[in-house]
Amino acid sequence: MAHQADTAPSAPSDVVPLRFTGQAGEYFRIWIVNICLSVVTIGIYSAWAKVRRKRYFYGNTLLNDAAFEYLADPKAILKGRIIVVGGFAVYSFAGKIDPLAGIVLLVVFLGVLPWLIVRASRFNAVNSAHRNVRFGFGASYGKMGRLLVLPIVLVPLTLGLLYPYYVYRKKRFILEHSAYGATPFVFTASAGAFYLVYLKVALMFLLFLVGSIVTAGIGALPLYIWFAAYRDGAVARLGWKSTRLGSLRFDCTWSTAGLFKLHFLNTLGIVFSGGLLAPWAAVRTARYQLQRISLEPAREIGAFVTAAQERVGAVGDEASDLLGFDFGL
Amino acid sequence: MTPLRALYYDGKTSQQREVLIRIEPPGRLHVSGDGIDFSCPLAHVQPSPRVGNTRRHLQFPDGSQCETEDNDAVDGIFAGLTSEAPGRLIHLWESRLGYALLALALTAAALWAGITYGIPALAKQVAFSLPASTEKAIGRNALAGLDRILLSPSELSPGREEKLRALFSKMMSDVEGAADYQLELRASKALGANALALPSGVVVVTDKLVELAKDDAELIAVLAHEIGHLRHRHTLRRLLQDSATVLLMAAVTGDLTSVVSLASALPAILVQAKYSRDFETEADDFALEYMKRHGVAPESLGAILLRMEEGRGAAADVPDYLSTHPATRERAERSRVAR
Repeated sequence: MAHQADTAPSAPSDVVPLRFTGQAGEYFRIWIVNICLSVVTIGIYSAWAKVRRKRYFYGNTLLNDAAFEYLADPKAILKGRIIVVGGFAVYSFAGKIDPLAGIVLLVVFLGVLPWLIVRASRFNAVNSAHRNVRFGFGASYGKMGRLLVLPIVLVPLTLGLLYPYYVYRKKRFILEHSAYGATPFVFTASAGAFYLVYLKVALMFLLFLVGSIVTAGIGALPLYIWFAAYRDGAVARLGWKSTRLGSLRFDCTWSTAGLFKLHFLNTLGIVFSGGLLAPWAAVRTARYQLQRISLEPAREIGAFVTAAQERVGAVGDEASDLLGFDFGL
Repeated sequence: MTPLRALYYDGKTSQQREVLIRIEPPGRLHVSGDGIDFSCPLAHVQPSPRVGNTRRHLQFPDGSQCETEDNDAVDGIFAGLTSEAPGRLIHLWESRLGYALLALALTAAALWAGITYGIPALAKQVAFSLPASTEKAIGRNALAGLDRILLSPSELSPGREEKLRALFSKMMSDVEGAADYQLELRASKALGANALALPSGVVVVTDKLVELAKDDAELIAVLAHEIGHLRHRHTLRRLLQDSATVLLMAAVTGDLTSVVSLASALPAILVQAKYSRDFETEADDFALEYMKRHGVAPESLGAILLRMEEGRGAAADVPDYLSTHPATRERAERSRVAR
């Protein structure tokens, strides 16, 4: 190991892409055993399953011949899951019995949301490591609360006009409060760049609508996948190209055509296999997305310093899973 | 043994060093190369669990770490460690396609058993151990809500209403635990000829249904079916079963987020439709049992159900597995043979 040709900076530019070495067949076996044990243990094993899944994907992600590592304790995740499921059950029952109680609980929930997201992000970050150096995330709950006013109040009030600004603020917020070891990430994009990207995304959406109507709905699914591929590619390229870590710069070459082919085949595979090809789709997605992200100059990767650490519970992690927030890097 | 090639990180910086790992006789692990040279008792080394063919990390007490690709060598070194036994067992299970297919079969069997027996039995247990006031609380505002959007006051003649109420009171005294049930008559364009049971103990019958019924026996059949829903606490059980189904899907797909996606919503919808059909059958059984015991011809249930379906028209085209009610022909057949 450690001595493949591609790890030596042979290219003069010293650009090094991420590598993903996961195999669909291998992951299928891990995936189905995860599901089986989760179902048989009525969900208890799902915390261990999550850790195994993440370990598989992190462990197969290599940068300059060093793997990433996911270090979370399954017991912390299980505790988080129990609290989240319990809270969710109380909320849905209270809402059925008394709508007012449901509203009160919703307000309480919105109150703790900043705390949940900060904890979730920190849990995820400090349990991710590369070269024995952990990532980190630190933001005050108040700052997170102020950020959340955007998607919850201001974006709906402006009928979505502030949405690109929110995406920009969110990305900047996450990156500027994230660190690899003791080195913080820096975000260099401007709000204007996001507005430009989303203007093109909106035009693509119009094309999707027109195309769906012209093809009498038959083309709607492939056209939607095309639109989503364009959007995801454009936003990701802007995000990565505007990211700095110390003297490291990032690049991302996801293309609309590449993402379209990826997600179109994934969708067909999953639908026609009754879900059995989901692990194949997950491996293909990771391979495409990771291998098209690169760093330079690679020689700097060995020069980062570890930060002082702290342990974080998993409640936030699971709650943000539940809400579909993806605050990870 | 041949020395194990590994990468060493000191835990203070991200610098990578190439080292060799050797096992020394009295249970010590020796790391050397690129300016590194130390040894440490094997018992103090924490290996990461084996997941597929991903690299292993050996954590040393001082916070430093070795990363290696040689999984078999790491497994060999720590073979005696009992704390690693569960992880080894799971890796063994994951390492052969045959074993994985066994997991697939086991998953299918467990899901089938859980959906068919586990969840319904558990929900029944929980529903009947909760006080009756739980359901009342859930349904407290249901009638007022329906009155606002779907129902309007009944236009039946006072004489007809009187007769109906007499029928219902007789049934209430016949059925144990039904004493505080309430009959509400309503007109409704949207519902047509229909009857519903609300969890607060209210049975709603539409004018059209009363007109559709040929005789008292058919009305008794419909009322008994609705009382069956109430006696069996179907609202509460449905609530519990539907929530449990969502959680089961979450366990299958691995996280709660994907529950909202279509891939796992569709199976949940199919399962919930199946539960609804099971409840209808249970309510039918209750009605047939009641009718037999009180000398009412059970086939009256089938007769009115068939006529209700005729009135609805093309609704019968919904495939069985999507429908919330069993096929009317089957229900009518059950009522015919109930005698």
